[in-house]
Amino acid sequence: MIAPETNKEYDFSAPRKQSASGIIIMFANSFQKIVRALALPLILIIVKSKDSGNLALILIVFLSLLTIALALFAYFSYQKFTFFLDEKKQEFIINSGIFSKTSLTIQLNKIQQVNINQNLLQQVVGVYSLEIDTAGSEKKEASIKAIDHATATILKQKLLSHDLTENENIDIQTDNQVTGPIQPLLKLSNNTLLKIGITSNYGASLLLLTGFIFGTIQLFKDYTDALEIEREQITQMLSKGVTLFSMCFMAIFALIIILGTNIIRTFLKYFNFKIIKQKGALAISSGLFTHKNVLLTPNKVQLSAYSQNYFQKKFDLLNMKIKQASFDSADKEESKKSDIEIPGCNEQERNEVLNMILSHVPTKGAELKPNYRFIFLQTMIWIVFPISIFVLLSSYALPLLRNYLIMVIPYIIVVGIMLYFEFNRHRLYVDENFIIKKSGIWDVEHEIIEPHKIQAITAKQYFWHKAADVGHLIIHTAAGVIHFKYGNYTHIKSLVNYWSYKIEVSQKDWM
Amino acid sequence: MKEFTNETIDTDSLPKYEEVQLNPLHKKYWNVMLINIFIFLFVMGIGIATLLVLNANARGYTYVISGIYIVFAFLLIVLYRASLKKRGFAVREKDILYTSGIIALSTTIVPFSRIQHIALDEGLFSRIYGLGELRIFTAGGSSGSLHIPGIEIDNAKSIKELLMKQINEAD
Repeated sequence: MIAPETNKEYDFSAPRKQSASGIIIMFANSFQKIVRALALPLILIIVKSKDSGNLALILIVFLSLLTIALALFAYFSYQKFTFFLDEKKQEFIINSGIFSKTSLTIQLNKIQQVNINQNLLQQVVGVYSLEIDTAGSEKKEASIKAIDHATATILKQKLLSHDLTENENIDIQTDNQVTGPIQPLLKLSNNTLLKIGITSNYGASLLLLTGFIFGTIQLFKDYTDALEIEREQITQMLSKGVTLFSMCFMAIFALIIILGTNIIRTFLKYFNFKIIKQKGALAISSGLFTHKNVLLTPNKVQLSAYSQNYFQKKFDLLNMKIKQASFDSADKEESKKSDIEIPGCNEQERNEVLNMILSHVPTKGAELKPNYRFIFLQTMIWIVFPISIFVLLSSYALPLLRNYLIMVIPYIIVVGIMLYFEFNRHRLYVDENFIIKKSGIWDVEHEIIEPHKIQAITAKQYFWHKAADVGHLIIHTAAGVIHFKYGNYTHIKSLVNYWSYKIEVSQKDWM
Repeated sequence: MKEFTNETIDTDSLPKYEEVQLNPLHKKYWNVMLINIFIFLFVMGIGIATLLVLNANARGYTYVISGIYIVFAFLLIVLYRASLKKRGFAVREKDILYTSGIIALSTTIVPFSRIQHIALDEGLFSRIYGLGELRIFTAGGSSGSLHIPGIEIDNAKSIKELLMKQINEAD
């Protein structure tokens, strides 16, 4: 399909329209919006009015008129939607709008990330959408809804290769034609995906499951209410049936469901996950039904992190997150989108990816340990405080609770172990080129930043820690905050001085 | 690799932020603080008074509640007074730092090269006393930006000018 097209096709300097099938996409989009807005009132009208003869006719006429209007609208918006690349000014311009015209200009050096995605409809029609994420506090999002794959990839590379010369652009073009056979840096097999599904993201699936269970209970309640069934009978039956055996059965059942949803989610999201090296950038693609395609330029990465839990360690699996500047936009989802997750890789692949992003494999420098006060405060909050409340309640207010007093012992043991792990894993590693923070109880996470990505540094000390020379360190980056607590304050102060020196001397820009 | 040996430096000889002489906030800023505290206390007082009037049960504790209120007001004023003494900022050759906090004293350093933009705010009460608040934003979001209140407006303007010049130079 790509073969007959000549290079002329990829000249973006003249205004271009989208793929002609874009009309269908635009039509579908606006149709969907209208249906969503009109569905409820329409249903109400139909239900409320009893005589159906005239109404049906009116509705059909109305709907067909609406469809025609939408089709016209889609056609004209397709005609008016143009985009082009101004190579001289280094700008990408999108013009759109039938009645009110908008012209969106994006400076190429402000482009953070270009994504090529495909939803179900686009898959059917055979087009892709191209979204441009820009940096800057004001959120200007640009997207082209219908574009064929070859044009999209080349446009994406043109948009991101603004500092390359014309010559190299041609290189990329030819490069692109042979992307297929290029050996990917990382490719997840179904086997790995299965392992990932088993070992990670319990929290999210648990939440999903709880939601599901509550939903079912609510449904059950509504159902019994509606049919006026004696609920007591059912609850009685239920409580009789709840024995130790059925409890165990339920627990196992829940576990299976959690693992099942986990595996399905992982496959949906990360099916055919691939990372390919492309001209100093990483192209990441994945997805079973909706293809996600992201190009990542290393110098825009603000923070990289990897984490591993006990099971993952056994499988030699690591979870990686690569964060770009998020500018704490009001929309949480929006900022999450710029995070790139690599669900599973082994140590060697992690090193390769990090090497690509940070230009060498990070090394753990001098270790900073927190003061024992770290565990002291946590013990107060998580053990002493709740248990004393529990004991007080059981001895004065609620004698019923006394039967459960024995539960205090396992609680102390479990929470104590968790706190010990938390303390033991709260570490900061500092060397010349990297700051690595390790933390976590079950999932042990390492967050890696380079000193020149720091935006601001805060050193903080409570007045009662003055004598003990203990304090906190907060490193602000464009992708979040790194917090090291209860460190040696003299050391922290010298680090703050060192890093401010490093930032101010360094010629490296943070983006 | 040359750069590497170049960059290994004696960390003790680096300029120390903790030894920098801080500029205190303007004395008149205490008045602004007091106005704010009194407004807060006034609103709270009205709330408590309505509670006492409307709720017969609470009326039995009138003395306890007003006692707590007075202690609270006293503590608030003392703590803010103490915090005012602790606050201060300094503009160094390549960065700006601000120290603040009541129970936790924190110092934040923002290098000029990381400043995104600067705003100068004049609040209603601050304007009465000719003061302004300098707000310095970085890409580190709200946690990574500085808000320095209580600077004399002319001074604040000149600091802003200076910072603007530095940013442009850094570019």
